[in-house]
Amino acid sequence: MINKSITEIHDALASNKITSEELIKESLEKSHEIQEKYNAFVTIIDDAKKGNNTESLVSGIPFGVKDNFSTKGILSTGSSHTLKNYVPIFTATAVQKLLDSGAVMVNKTVLDEFGLGGTGTTGHTGIVLNPWDKTRMCAGSSAGSACAVASGVYPYALGSDTGDSIRKPAAYCGIVGYKPTYGMISRFGMFPFASSLDHVGVLTRSVEDAAIVVDAMKGKDPNDMTSWDSNHIHLKDAITGNVKGKKLFYIKELCDINNYTNPNEELIKHLQNFQDTLKICQNLGIEVAEESINQNILNAINSVYTVISCAEATSNLSNLTGIIYGPRSNAKNINEMMIDYRTKGFSPLIKRRLVIGSYVLQQENQERYFKNAQKLRRLIVNIMKEFFTKYDGLILPVGCGPAKKLDGKTEQLSKEANALEEHLQIGNFGGFPSITIPNGFVSNLPVGVNITGACYDDENILNIAYALESAMEYKGQIAKEVE
Amino acid sequence: MNKFTSEMVDNYANKLLFNLTEDENKLVLDEFEVIDKTIDLINEIEGLNELEPMTHTLDDFEVDLREDIPEESIKVEDALKNAGATEGREIEVPKVVD
Repeated sequence: MINKSITEIHDALASNKITSEELIKESLEKSHEIQEKYNAFVTIIDDAKKGNNTESLVSGIPFGVKDNFSTKGILSTGSSHTLKNYVPIFTATAVQKLLDSGAVMVNKTVLDEFGLGGTGTTGHTGIVLNPWDKTRMCAGSSAGSACAVASGVYPYALGSDTGDSIRKPAAYCGIVGYKPTYGMISRFGMFPFASSLDHVGVLTRSVEDAAIVVDAMKGKDPNDMTSWDSNHIHLKDAITGNVKGKKLFYIKELCDINNYTNPNEELIKHLQNFQDTLKICQNLGIEVAEESINQNILNAINSVYTVISCAEATSNLSNLTGIIYGPRSNAKNINEMMIDYRTKGFSPLIKRRLVIGSYVLQQENQERYFKNAQKLRRLIVNIMKEFFTKYDGLILPVGCGPAKKLDGKTEQLSKEANALEEHLQIGNFGGFPSITIPNGFVSNLPVGVNITGACYDDENILNIAYALESAMEYKGQIAKEVE
Repeated sequence: MNKFTSEMVDNYANKLLFNLTEDENKLVLDEFEVIDKTIDLINEIEGLNELEPMTHTLDDFEVDLREDIPEESIKVEDALKNAGATEGREIEVPKVVD
């Protein structure tokens, strides 16, 4: 039963065909099985208890939480050695809202350390393996959440998304990943990485489940001044599947195979599959148009992201001293204690990102790097907003194909710009609602398509995604290991 | 002469209160080169200088300031729960001033 949708499980609970206790037991047993195979969890909450019965559809149903959300009395590490023993004294608003609705948290999932990675390989408890193919990555940073949902541990898990950290792992694991408009869900209690880009969101196996969970989590929070009143938004009610006359566009430079030098077979098939998805959209009555964006702007997306996110991370992670929390160093003086703690605690990737952030924030470098990145961020957002006056949304393939091989490479900035791999970051630049759904298979592995729209237009974007999902055959799929 | 040097990278790392290995230092240098080249491309984009840097995600961002009334904060014993060493109501650290 635990691998069904939220409404199916809710109906079974309501008709007494199953109890919440039985669901929790099933989810915990599955958690241990998945941990053994793919290493998806930092903590499995073996003593998880049934919550209050409420009217909410999520009441009584188990869920997972990415380990960068504070959970009172439960280890919350950010998948970092620097917080390997940290037990928060409060619970993040997004998690608390679900608990108040009667949902049952059963585990904390592995991420790339503090969310600063896209491979699922840099968490302090080790690499998360893809449940479709253990030789491939889940992507990140919400790797454990994607792995667990794809494996049928529960219907949903929380994620955070600063660049594509919900939406790319969702694609690589064949599930749905949704980050709503910036500030729709409170970030209070989520470990900050880059505050102007950070979003709370969810990974599910259907668009309807994503709508249900975000309906339960959203709302203005006095503890997060960037959150806003969304009482007028009802996501589940909005997904009717009626999309006739809607308009989508895609970006020619990213989707034309002729723009790629020596494309590999997976990229060719991925882009062909995307064209097939566009035809399905057209069959649903959606108008699909091709638009063009300056290639230099597209090529600069990842640098804009790197400069801004690293700069913000440098500030956000400066509170990690090992004094107030974290494993304390035995060094002789306070300065050496902090250096020892941060040198041993941070992974090489975090340290590299923080040095970049510090460099671009130096007074003599700010104009050239940080301010110019912020200006280009505005230019990209302005371009997208202009498109959104003509179209309901942007539709694009996610990444360059299915999950990449785990080949042991460090997560280093590439000398070659690859905007197809990085375009989801646009959704974070503008705070746009953005959802990835599975749209087929390449090399027997799932691939995804993403739809992104104007801020506050979440109902419309989810409805389009719901209609498209309903016209394909990948809704609710559970990962099956392939050779 | 290279614009970026390993000494410079170590200096930034030290300011951030951690040390880098030689390999980590080399990787940072390589990444600086990548970012620097892309920034050159960014600077060639027309109309960039006329734009204001984007610092907030939402244009209609509004902040409601609460009334300036004291609110209950976390308890001292809670604040001390994750500290490695405490004494009474305080976090213990090595002597800072001789």
